[in-house]
Amino acid sequence: MRSYHLLPRMRIGLASVAAVALLALAGCGSSGSSKSASGGGATTSAAGTSSAPAGSTGTSGGGTASGGVSSCGPKPGQKATGSPINIGTIDTHQPGTDFTDGPNMIQAYFNCVNDNGGVNGHPLKLFVELDQTQPAQITAAAHKLIQSDHVVAIDGVFDLLECTLDQSYWKGLGIFEMDAGIAPECWSTPNSAAVNMGPRYSSDGAVQYAIDVAKAKKIVFVQSNVPGTGYIAAGPSALAKASNVPIKELTENVPINDANSVALNLVNSAGPDGWVVLNFTPPEALVILQAAQKLGLEDRVKGWGCSTPCNTDFLAKALGPKWNRKLFVNAELASPDDHSGPEWDLYKGILSKYGSSVAGGIGSFSQMGFVLAKFLVQALQNVHGAYTMKSVNDAIVGIKDYKTSMICEPWTYGKVALHIPNNTDYTTTPDNGKMVTAQGCTPISAADPQIAQYRAAAKAAGI
Amino acid sequence: MHPLIHLALSLPSWQDEQPFLVTGLALGGVYALSGVGMIVLFRTTGVLNLSFGAVGAFGALISWQLINHSGMNQWLAYLACVLFGGVITLAYGMVFGRALAGRDPLVKTTATLGLTLILLGAMDLLWTSNGGASRSISLPTDNHGFMVGQIQVTTTDVIALAIGVAITVATTLFLRYSRLGTAMRAMANDREITATLGVPVRRVEASAWFGCGIVAGISGILLADLVALDATTLTFLVISSLAAALIARLSSIWITFIAAIIIGVVDAGVTPITSLTNYRDMTPFVLAAIALGFLNRKRVLSLARQEF
Repeated sequence: MRSYHLLPRMRIGLASVAAVALLALAGCGSSGSSKSASGGGATTSAAGTSSAPAGSTGTSGGGTASGGVSSCGPKPGQKATGSPINIGTIDTHQPGTDFTDGPNMIQAYFNCVNDNGGVNGHPLKLFVELDQTQPAQITAAAHKLIQSDHVVAIDGVFDLLECTLDQSYWKGLGIFEMDAGIAPECWSTPNSAAVNMGPRYSSDGAVQYAIDVAKAKKIVFVQSNVPGTGYIAAGPSALAKASNVPIKELTENVPINDANSVALNLVNSAGPDGWVVLNFTPPEALVILQAAQKLGLEDRVKGWGCSTPCNTDFLAKALGPKWNRKLFVNAELASPDDHSGPEWDLYKGILSKYGSSVAGGIGSFSQMGFVLAKFLVQALQNVHGAYTMKSVNDAIVGIKDYKTSMICEPWTYGKVALHIPNNTDYTTTPDNGKMVTAQGCTPISAADPQIAQYRAAAKAAGI
Repeated sequence: MHPLIHLALSLPSWQDEQPFLVTGLALGGVYALSGVGMIVLFRTTGVLNLSFGAVGAFGALISWQLINHSGMNQWLAYLACVLFGGVITLAYGMVFGRALAGRDPLVKTTATLGLTLILLGAMDLLWTSNGGASRSISLPTDNHGFMVGQIQVTTTDVIALAIGVAITVATTLFLRYSRLGTAMRAMANDREITATLGVPVRRVEASAWFGCGIVAGISGILLADLVALDATTLTFLVISSLAAALIARLSSIWITFIAAIIIGVVDAGVTPITSLTNYRDMTPFVLAAIALGFLNRKRVLSLARQEF
C-alpha cells in the first residue's frame, strides 16, 4: 500500500470547488449580502430615498407642467406646500431580481402630483425600503416604516416575500396594503390587494388560451424549481383537468445552464399537438425560446405560451420576427404598443418628465407602479379631515370600481377574505419586436378553485 | 414504488436520448476550452483562476453593449470581448500575480475570487436586470447548420467543440515544442531555478495570464450564445470547467478535455430522465467525486500512517 500525501494541487482544487460553489449559492440564494449595503442605505436614509428622483422634481420646480402631465394633480403648475402624507413601500432589490422600477414609477407619479397641487394641498412622500429576500430584514422594514417613518399607508409593494411575512402585522394595525405581488398571500389574505394577477393566475390565463383558443391537446407547464411551485401549478392543473386536457408539470433549476436540453425536453414532452407554457422571468424564458429556435424546434409543437413576465418588448426584440404569433403571453395589463388615450399620454408623460430612474422605461413594472399610484391618489382625495392611518386605510379598503385603461375591469378592494381584483386579462404576442394584443379582455376561468372562491366572496360582499 | 424501479421506468429510449447527447457535446466543448485555459495558467503560475467565468461574462456584456448601443460591427465587438479578457487578466496577473508569487497556491487562488466579486458587482451595477431586461448574443453562425437526427446542429455548436479540440491540441504542441512553452513547463516545476537559468519568468507569466484571459474571452462569447448572456450564470459556469480540471488533477490537458466533454454530455443526457433532471446541476461534483475516489482508491493519507 502506498502512502500518499494529499497533493497541494488537489487541496487547492477541492477548496476552490467548495469556494466557488459557496459563492454560487450566495449569488443565487441570498445574494442580498452583496447588496445589503445599498439596501441598508435605502433603509437608513429612507427620506433620502423618497426623494430619489429629486433631480426630476427640481427640473419641474418651476411648476409649468406641460404636455398633459399636469392632469396628474388638481392644480396645474402649483406646488403642494402642506404637511406631507407619508406612504411606505417594501421592494425586492437583489442581483437577478430587481423590482425597483415599480417604486421608482410611484415616486415619479408622486412628484408629478406634488408639482400640481398635491392631494388636497398635501405633498406625498414615499419611503422606500429595499430588501434582499431576507425575512428578518423585511419584517424589520415594515416596523421601521410604521414606527420611525410614520407612514399612514403601504402602497406599491413589489416584493418576493413581503405579503407572506407582514400580513399579520398589517392586519393588527388595520392597514390595507396595495401591491404588485408574487407571494400567494398577496391574493389570499384580507389585508392585501394586488393590481397584478401574479404567477398562478397569469399561468392560468396562458393555459386557458392554449386550451380554449388554440385547442391544444396537451399542456406542458414548466417553471422555476423554487419553493411554491406546487401552489402555482395547481391553477393550470385545475384548468387542464376541467377541460380534460392532459398536463405535464415540470420544474427547471435556475439559472438555466443548458437551455438546449431544456427546450428539447419540453418539445418532446408536448408533442406536435401540445402547447408549452413557461412561467419564468424574461431572461430565463428567453434562453429557452432562443434555444428552441436554434435547434429548429419552434414549430415542433402547436404553440408556446408564457405568463406575464414575458410581456416585454425586450423579449420581443431579442426573439425576432420568427416568433411572431408563435408565442402567446398572458398579460395582466394592456400592451403599451397598441393602446392609446389620455391616460396613456399621462403615463408616458410622467415617465418622460419624472421617471429618469425607471430603468426599464415603458413596461409592466412602470405600468403597475402608475396604476398603484393613481388609485392611491384617487382614494386619498376622498379623505375628509386629517390623514391618519385609519382615515387613509378606510379610504383604501373602500376603493370600488376605480377605472384605468391599463387593466380590463374596474378595480375594487373591499372587505373580503381574499382579493383577486384583477382576474380578467389580455393575451399578447410578439410582432416584429413589440408585444401586441392577440386576444382582448377574457375572464380567467373559475375552474381554478381560488378564482371561484374570490368571485363568490366578492359577490357576497356586494363587490 | 421503489426509487430504482421508478428511475428505470422513466428512462427515455435510446432514440429519444440521442439529441441530448448531441447538445451536450457543444456544451462540453466550451467547458473544455475553459478548463484547458485554467490548467495552462495553473501549470505556469500556480494560480487557479476562479475569475475565468466572470472575465468572460464581462467581456460578453461589453460586446452586447457595443453591438446594441454603439452600433459597432459585431465581429469587432466580439474581438473587443476577447481583448478585454486578455487585458484584464494580464493586468491582474501583473499587479497581484507578482505580489502573490511567493504565497501558498491556495492564497493565490483565493485572491482571484476577489476579482470575481469585483467584476460580478460591476456587471450588476452596469447591466441591471430591472424592468424585465433580457439580453442575448446571437452569433451569425447560429443561422447555419445541419440536421442530426431530429435536431438542428448549428455552426456555433460545431465551432464550440472544434475550438475546444483546437485549443487543446495547440496548447499541447505549444507547451512541448515552443521555447515559451518549454519555459512555462520549467516554471511549473520550479520558478526560482527557472529564473536562475536566465528564463524571463515575468514575461513568461505575463504570456500565460494574457493567454488565459484570451481564452476566457472566447469562452465568454461562446457561452453567452450557447447558454445565456447573464452575469451570474456565466460567472459560475466555471464550476463545470473546474471539476474537469480537478478530475485531471490540475495537470493533464487532455484528461481535462475529455472530462469536460463527459460532464457536458452527462449533464444534457440526464435532462429527459424525470426523476433525475432537477439534480443534473450536481453532475460536475458527482463526476469529480467519483473520479477522485477512483484515482485515490489505493492510497492512504500519510497523516494516518504517522498517527497510527
